[in-house]
Amino acid sequence: MKQKENLMKVIVPVLSILVAFIIGGIIMICLGKNPFQAYGFLFSGAFGSSRKIAQTLVIACPLIFTGLTAAFSYKCGVFNLGGEGQFVMGAVASIFFVTKSGIGGIAGILLSLLIGAAAGAVWGAIPGILKITRGLNEMIVSIMLNYVATLFMGYVYTTLLRDGSVPQTFAIPDSTKLAVVSKNFPVHWGVWVALFLAFAGYYFLFYTSKGFKLRAVGLNSTAAFFNGFPVNRYVLFSFIASGAVAGLGGSVELHGKQLRLMGGFGQGFGFDGVAIALIAQLNPIGTAAVAFIFAVLRKGASTLQTGMQIPTAVVDIIQALVIIFAVAGTALLKLPAIRQYINSHMGKKEVTN
Amino acid sequence: MDAFFNMNFLTELLLSTIRMATPILFVALAETYSERAGLVNIGLDGIMSFGALIGFLIGYKTGSPTTGILAGALSGVAINMIYAFCTIRLCAPQIVYGMAINIFAPALASFIYRLSFSDTSTLIQGVSMKAMPIPVLSSIPVLGPLFFNHIPLVYIAYLLVPVTAVFFNRTKAGLNFKAVGEFPKAAETLGINVVLQKYIACIICGALAGIGGAYLTICYTSTYSEGIVAGRGFIALSAVIFGRWMPSGVLLACLLFGFCDALQIRLQLLSPSTPYQLLQMIPYLCTLFVLAFFGIRKSGPKANGQPYYREER
Amino acid sequence: MKKTMKTASLIMAAVLTAMSLAACGSASAPTKAAGSSAETSAAETTKAETTKAEETKAADSSKTSGYKVAMVLDSSVSDGGWGASCYQAMVNAAKDSGWETVYTDNVATADFATVMTDYAELGYNLIFAPGNQYTDAVKQVAEEYPDIKFALLNGTVETENITSILPDAKQIGYMAGALAGLMSKTNNIGFIGGMELDTTKAKLECYEKAAKKVNPDIKVSSAYAGSFSDTAKGKEIASSMVSTYDVDVMFGDASAVDTGAREALAGSEGRYDIGQPGDLGSADHKIIICSVVTDNAALLKACMKDVEADTFGGKTIYGDLSNGCLSIGTFSNLVPQDIQTQYKEIVDQIKAGTYIQ
Repeated sequence: MKQKENLMKVIVPVLSILVAFIIGGIIMICLGKNPFQAYGFLFSGAFGSSRKIAQTLVIACPLIFTGLTAAFSYKCGVFNLGGEGQFVMGAVASIFFVTKSGIGGIAGILLSLLIGAAAGAVWGAIPGILKITRGLNEMIVSIMLNYVATLFMGYVYTTLLRDGSVPQTFAIPDSTKLAVVSKNFPVHWGVWVALFLAFAGYYFLFYTSKGFKLRAVGLNSTAAFFNGFPVNRYVLFSFIASGAVAGLGGSVELHGKQLRLMGGFGQGFGFDGVAIALIAQLNPIGTAAVAFIFAVLRKGASTLQTGMQIPTAVVDIIQALVIIFAVAGTALLKLPAIRQYINSHMGKKEVTN
Repeated sequence: MDAFFNMNFLTELLLSTIRMATPILFVALAETYSERAGLVNIGLDGIMSFGALIGFLIGYKTGSPTTGILAGALSGVAINMIYAFCTIRLCAPQIVYGMAINIFAPALASFIYRLSFSDTSTLIQGVSMKAMPIPVLSSIPVLGPLFFNHIPLVYIAYLLVPVTAVFFNRTKAGLNFKAVGEFPKAAETLGINVVLQKYIACIICGALAGIGGAYLTICYTSTYSEGIVAGRGFIALSAVIFGRWMPSGVLLACLLFGFCDALQIRLQLLSPSTPYQLLQMIPYLCTLFVLAFFGIRKSGPKANGQPYYREER
Repeated sequence: MKKTMKTASLIMAAVLTAMSLAACGSASAPTKAAGSSAETSAAETTKAETTKAEETKAADSSKTSGYKVAMVLDSSVSDGGWGASCYQAMVNAAKDSGWETVYTDNVATADFATVMTDYAELGYNLIFAPGNQYTDAVKQVAEEYPDIKFALLNGTVETENITSILPDAKQIGYMAGALAGLMSKTNNIGFIGGMELDTTKAKLECYEKAAKKVNPDIKVSSAYAGSFSDTAKGKEIASSMVSTYDVDVMFGDASAVDTGAREALAGSEGRYDIGQPGDLGSADHKIIICSVVTDNAALLKACMKDVEADTFGGKTIYGDLSNGCLSIGTFSNLVPQDIQTQYKEIVDQIKAGTYIQ
């Protein structure tokens, strides 16, 4: 029974993604393009060679970090929408450190990543402190802080650490670049950090007593309060921890991929992370998996666009359709009526909601 | 320097505040309706960009700004129905669908724009709405040009504030509406059709957000360019929370944003040597300080963001 | 329960059909509209292009070289500013050389290299990166794909397979400044920059120098919009310059922002603008008195020639007055004949390098 239900959990999303692809295919036929060729490009773009798989993983990396940020804070019942700002501030702190300190090599990387995480934690702590002390809604505070962080980064790359002619910062020194696994599989080590964090987060949330308490606070903070949990401390902790994850992500993106700050750094990653975490139902390992699927779509879509010369807008539409249908499919499974239907067909009497 | 600090400067600043606050006000009111029915919609940017394009396009084809605005409203409703169906009927996560709309709608808009105008090297000029001075009142010095010499859409935006307030607090329909956002289960037992109310909320939200978008391309400027919305939807979202889900509060929040934005543009001209990013932070920092100073203990509608599973019997 | 399931699936099916129909509808309906609007709004461009195309057809109709060029752009090709002008430059250059063109626009910073890699994998001969911000991505991909050539506009990189294209910003600044100096009656001229790029800074500096050489009393006010697309801000800046400093001639280096500035100048009498990079004015234009024209297409065409002749790389192609890549645009009849003559003499001196050392 359980197996069948799990089977449905896989089949329905797959079917709904298929429906999205069919609609995308119809659009492409309307544009006079061959949809099979197009989807061929999409998959070969994401998986065609070890180099391409590596590129997909590198695209997934920041999304895993911001996804974990959202998953972690939502599990504790706080709606940290500030992943983007924390990501950006992490990168800003790191670029300051590596350009000003001159410390290179492994030590430089490790210190820089730590400082990035710390900066993210500080930026994440602000909405937490304001929530606890002044009762402010964390969503609005974290959105405002996103704007402030992005503008501050703009100030840094146009004025403070500007590299000559272009509005961008100096590149980080070569010795502080994150190493890649191999030349044919150019994945930087930050990806493994992201995956490790996903597993560690899963372990923490579901297999430790602290994690249990954190989830309890998220489920019902009043009940947790009356059970003697220091609710405020958990809330603040989850802000700081999720901020640190985002800040680390920004730092990793800087050292592994972008190598310098410029306009558009980190743009959209915060909200992508929120969507990813929610699709994964706040499961850290699921978050990493969904982030990977997002990256596959993105990498494949880019290859599809360049290969078939379909307008970028159409490729975006197809990506949005995949999200719309895949999530609708999952949601459909959770509807009471559908659950009853499934259960009754599997001979199960009791209906749990 | 002194040229800036005179009566004319102040009037210009306030006028500019009103101009800048209006589109945000439309969209913030849209979100107020949506959240009052328990639906957090972060897809406002997407709805706006679609409304901006369709409003511009229809206005351009028909030559009538009013038709353009109406088309913007309708297109906003159409796009928001995707969100409505998935979050109300399928009980899918609301934030995800807001995100999906934010990817989907701007892409669709830019696609339609290119099909309509192919490759043009300059921006197409569309229609623009003419100001409608209110007789007598508009000739009052200072106050006249400030409050009574605007395009009709501005009056409508500000009239919507008391209308919304009366609706929510003084009418039965409004109270039912609020009940859906607070205690949907209880509302259902009182005979309120929760699902229908939520759909109505989505229709109002889509229409107002669409108008907010169309305002940008028909009233603010008369051209459409990709990215014209520039995050105004998220500002509106913040304005709703800032305004404690009350129309009057939302109005104040929008005016504060508008004022800070108008001020920072002028400050940039005053001191071109100050990095402009620091000045652009003013609206956001100002919001944070105002919020931190007053503090908000009030939270939003209790069932906000929660899916509503109707009991099947 | 079965019934609800059925209704749910029915609704789903209905939505699907509706959406796919809508998608098809939106795809086909506006196509018609595009046809009709081409007759009205885009008529001019179309006409210009067709005549050009006919010319090339007459000259070398057999020339479909089989070469392909791809452009990567962070803004939109229909932004009515920088993106649009670079796209047109590529299309025009390719038309003359018989190349095939493709583009990807609205590319996020994080994806520059990804998209270039895709084009490199697909075997495009030349990748056109219109701006200095693509330098990192170009360098990275160029190293991985040594057989693919890269043209970097406003760039400063020269390698085996990267050629930089650099229109002479100083000459552009001198040309605009001299004309502004000659035309200003209030002795106040203005300049709006988009971002503080080196090229923009150079333009501003030379604009001021040349204007002061023509008229030592001239004062220049300048501002940066911090954007290349914020039309409203251009309007605000220009109107404040007019009201506060009585600026009467302006020059801008901020693409769509300049459009907004011109809207503000149209509001009062005797205020002029100098256009760039295309020939934006006409004989009876009320605002644009003349343009400083940069022929990016010619520069790009030089790159294409190099690719065809296998002499690509290791150099920077400069665009200036001497090789015809910079030129004076159409004068408006607001510019008196004697000033036109005087201006042309100055431009000849700039060309010879004797105007300002």
